[in-house]
Formats: sequence, structure tokens, C-alpha cells
Amino acid sequence: MLTKSQARLFFIGGTAFFSLIFVMLTVDTLRQIPERQNTKAMTASVVRGKTIWDDRNCMGCHTILGEGAYYAPELTLVVNRRGPEWIRIFLRDPQAMYPGKRKMIQYDFSEEQITDVIAFLDWIGKIDTNGFPPEPDLKPQVALAKASVAAVSDRPAYFDSVCTACHAVAGQGGTFGPALDGVATRIDPVALDTWLADPQKVKPGTAMPNLELSDELRAELVAWLSTLE
Amino acid sequence: MKFRSQRVAYLFFATSLLLFSLQIVFGFIMGFAHMGYDVLHDVIPFNAARTSHLNLLVFWLLSGFMGAAYYIVPEEADRELHSEKLAVIQWAGLVIVGVTAIIGFQFEWWEGRKFLEIPRPLDYLVVVDVLLFLYVVGRTALGAERFTTTGSVLLVGLTAAALLYLPGMITFESQVMDSYFRWWVVHLWVEGVWELIMGGILSFLLIKLTGVDRELIEKWLYVIVGFTFLSGILGTGHHYYYIGAPEYWLLVGGIFSALEPLAFLGMALYAVTMARRGGMNHPNRIALFWTVGCGIMSFVGAGFLGFAHTLPQVNLWTHGTIITAMHGHMAFWGAYAMLVLAMISYAMPNMTGRKLFSGWAPEWAFWISNVGMIGMTGAFAVAGIAQVYMERKIGMDFLAVQEAVEVHFAGVVLAACLLTVGIGMFIWNFVQYGLPNDEAVGQGG
Repeated sequence: MLTKSQARLFFIGGTAFFSLIFVMLTVDTLRQIPERQNTKAMTASVVRGKTIWDDRNCMGCHTILGEGAYYAPELTLVVNRRGPEWIRIFLRDPQAMYPGKRKMIQYDFSEEQITDVIAFLDWIGKIDTNGFPPEPDLKPQVALAKASVAAVSDRPAYFDSVCTACHAVAGQGGTFGPALDGVATRIDPVALDTWLADPQKVKPGTAMPNLELSDELRAELVAWLSTLE
Repeated sequence: MKFRSQRVAYLFFATSLLLFSLQIVFGFIMGFAHMGYDVLHDVIPFNAARTSHLNLLVFWLLSGFMGAAYYIVPEEADRELHSEKLAVIQWAGLVIVGVTAIIGFQFEWWEGRKFLEIPRPLDYLVVVDVLLFLYVVGRTALGAERFTTTGSVLLVGLTAAALLYLPGMITFESQVMDSYFRWWVVHLWVEGVWELIMGGILSFLLIKLTGVDRELIEKWLYVIVGFTFLSGILGTGHHYYYIGAPEYWLLVGGIFSALEPLAFLGMALYAVTMARRGGMNHPNRIALFWTVGCGIMSFVGAGFLGFAHTLPQVNLWTHGTIITAMHGHMAFWGAYAMLVLAMISYAMPNMTGRKLFSGWAPEWAFWISNVGMIGMTGAFAVAGIAQVYMERKIGMDFLAVQEAVEVHFAGVVLAACLLTVGIGMFIWNFVQYGLPNDEAVGQGG
């Protein structure tokens, strides 16, 4: 069983060991930082910009490199995102840009001070941050989902309520039956009409049920399906 | 209380509760601003409210730790404090620096560095004040015939906390370097040496409240604080993922942050096991509530919720979002706020000789404030997760997302009202105890 002096040894030894590793990693980090932060690009303007950043406590609302408060936008890549001209106009009168929205303090910066702040933010944006902030990874999928909904929005209401239980179009719908994208290129309208009138007669044993569609509805579905090329 | 000079702790505890109340007020200002009602924008803009909120927290916790030390050290050293007068001077110094800092923040007298906003001239006063504090408790301990493990761990923690304040006073031209060393203070405090202070205070409370053998409690104290440093020192790496430091911090920080919950799990098991072993029959049940609650909530808030967002794969998306506020609130509450409230609950009846711990008010104060804090954490979590998906993963505009999550801040504010009621009841109970009483000197407890 562990004795008290062994426990103390574990505490002191562990602390000493991991402190030593921490100091060694720090030495190596300090060696690498000049290149990773691009020290050569740290002009006098950049340094003045940091002073303004600190004096105004910008971190009290914004985050930079992900650090600060969560009341105002992340600014690591702001120069890249907005461009220097936009930032200059914004800083001249922050409340004019988004009237009635969340307010930034009007600091009455001089043009030189604005130049320094932009220089600082520009330098920040070029630090090697190991990929922060990341590109929004769901953005393409959201865009795709929106597009496909628009493309098939004119389909018959019956298709949406019944057919989609088993069939998908543009990635939306069930998977029990085959997807119907491009069905018009595989089956001509007459064959589609015959099939829908009585699937079992065309292909005995098929899982597709006889939906006993009216002639009118069948015509509507065939007309629409024939547009899926 | 055993010794007359322990009563000086009262000043620190009263200060703690006063500053805590003020912290809550600034919290409400921020909560309303997030809901879209930034009505005080021209008087107290968000960055002033935020800086005041954070620094009041640090001040009231430190005041609580100092009060705890002034109460604990004489008992562990078995003698009066080296000088009660110096302790009172030190308290006055702390109050003056604190009040000056909070007022200064309203006039932009600050350094815009999260958690370390106190301007440099006041930093030097903090150092002088803390040195005076360490002198008083240190002399008390060194002059004793014997000094316990509990007392030593507490003092080592306090001394290390003072030393680690210094890297925060170096001026850097580079944001990267500034950030790197700022975490030496902030991280190595809250996930390092403050846990020593926490371990020391918990150990003292458990010894007093459970009656379990001191040797056993102190042995496990070493194991727990051992785990703290084993994980916490290299765990600093989770602050170095994306600030311009080398890529290996993703690996180092990821692994050791994942181990950090172990120390807090240790604290939780420690408190629960010792309390059960002692039979939970100490008359001051409410102090035991806060003590065991502190162990458990520190594991949930600091350990589990910390783990949940320090993995590099998760943190890449959650870094710098409301998720951080979610974790931060329950972590500080569980590990440190509840600890100070536990210490106050234990010490007040002993200092005043009045046993006001058995009424309904202190018990309801415990439950209501905890339910309030859990509610706040939940609301922050919903807002944070929504923000991460909309802003970070889908790429929606920042302001559009903030408007979408405004409703969850109504949840934060409602839950904060509960917390406020609980803390109000706690303070009411504190006031009813009255001042320390000489008749209580020499009584056990």
C-alpha cells in the first residue's frame, strides 16, 4: 500500500519532471516563434497597432487568435475577409456601418492610428496558427442542399407525400426503391405509364405496389418524371 | 476558533462576498447586452463590464484564499498569527488595490490582456501586498514547532501563485509571445497551483468535518496534487494550439489536457469518500454540503466540460466561442467559488460562536445557487453549440448568428437570477452571524 512519503515523492518527482519538459518545450517554442510569427514583418506600425489594441482593450469584446471575449467578431483573418478599405471606413464611424445593431465604441481614431491597427491585424492574419480559424466545412453541403431543393421544387405534391417514401431525387427521399434522377433517359413516357398503372403486370414480384392512381394523376406524374433527365 | 488572530479571516470573507455581489451585477450587464439590450453602452461598454466581471472574480477568490489561509495556518501551526496587525494592513492594501483597479477599468485604465487587465503600476502594489501576506503566514508557519502537510501544501500553492504572477508583468511587442506567457499566469494558476490551494483547503475541511484520520487524508492529498501537476503543466499546451506556437503542442496539449480531469475526479472522489467514511454526522452539515459539492462540481465543470472542448479536433471549432464561457462559468464555480463558500460556511460559526448553520436558509442557498449555475451552463452550452455550427461550420455572418442566439441569453439571465437569489441568501446568512467574538476563542470546531 502506498505510504505518505511515497505519495510525497510522486508529487515532488512528477512536478519536477514535467516542469523540466515544459521548460524544454518552451525553449524550443521560443526558437521557432520568430519564423512562425514572421518577426521580419513586424514593422513599427504593427507594434503601434498592438499598443492601441491593448490600450483600448479590444479583447474585451473581440477575439484574436481565438482569445478574448465573445461579444464581437473573431479578427484573426479580418483583413483577409474584409480588406483594409472596409476596415478603415468602419473604424472611422463603427456605428454607421450597422445602424441599430450591436454597437462598437466610437474611438475617434486618427487616420494614422487606423493604419496602425490595420497593419497589426494584417500581421496577425499571417501568423502560422496551425489552421485556425478553419474554413467552414459544412458550407459546401449547405449550398448543395439549397440548390437541389430549388431544382425539384415544381414536382407534384403527390410525389412528395407518397413516392419519396421509397424513391429519392437529388439526394432527397427514401432509399428502398431506386433513385429517380435521370429516369427519363432510361424509360420512355409510355412505358412509365404502363408501369405505374400496374407494376405487378410488367414485372411480377416487384416490391413496387399498385397505387391505383387515377388517369389524371398518373398523367401528371409521368409528365413530371419525363423531365428528369 | 482556536486562536484569537484567526478572526482576521472575517475581513477577507466579507470582502469576498461583497466583490462577488458586484461581479454578478457586471455579469447581468453583459447578459443583457448579449440579449440585445446594451442600454449602458455609453456608461459601461461591454469591454469595461467584461474586464470588471473577470477581475472581480479573481479578486474575490484571492481574498477568499487569503482569508482561508489566515484561518487555517494558525491551526495547522498551532499558534497565533505572526502579526494580526500586519494581516489587517495587508487586507486594507488588497481592498485599496482592488477598488482602484475596478474604478480604473471604467476609465480605460487597463491593459487589454484577458484576465491580467490590472495596469502595471497596480501590479507592483499587488506584488508588495502579496509579499506581505506571504510574510505573515510564512512567519507563522516557520515559527511553529511542527507544521502539517495540509498547511504546507496550502502555503506552497500560495507562494507558487505569487511567483507565477510575474511572467504576466513582462512587456512583449509580439501578440504571440504576449499570449504565450499570459497563459503561464492564467493556466498555471487555475489548472496548476490554485489546485494546490484547493487541495490544501479541501484537506483541512475534510479533516475537520469528517473526523477521518489526518494521515490518510494527507496521503491522498499528495496523490491528487501530484496528478494536478502531472497533467496540468503540459496541459498548458491546449492554449498553444492556435496562437502561433509549434504544431507539437496539439499533441502534447491534447494528451495532457485529456488527463486533467483525473485530478478533479480525484478531488471529487476524495471529498465523497472521506465524507462517507466520516459518517456525515458533523453538526455543520452545510459546510460539508459545500465541501463535497465543490469536489463534485469541480469535476463536472473544470474536469469534464474542460475535457469536452480541449481536444484539438473539437477545439479547432469551439476555440473563441461561447463554449469557452460555458466551461469557464462552471469550472470557476465548482472548483473555486464553492471552495471559498465552503470555507466561509465552516469558519463563520467557529469565529462568531453562533451556530446558524442548521436553518433552511443556508441549505436553500446551496441548492438554489447550484441549480442556477447549472442552468446558466446549460444555456451557454446551447448558445455556444448553435454558434459553432452556424458561424464556424456553416460560415454564417457573426452578427446574424449572435441575433439567432439572443434568446438563449434570456435563459442565461433567468438562471442567473436563481443564482443571485441563492447567493443573496448565503450573504444574508453571513450577515446574521455577526462579527467574530472573543468568547469563541479557544473553542474547537
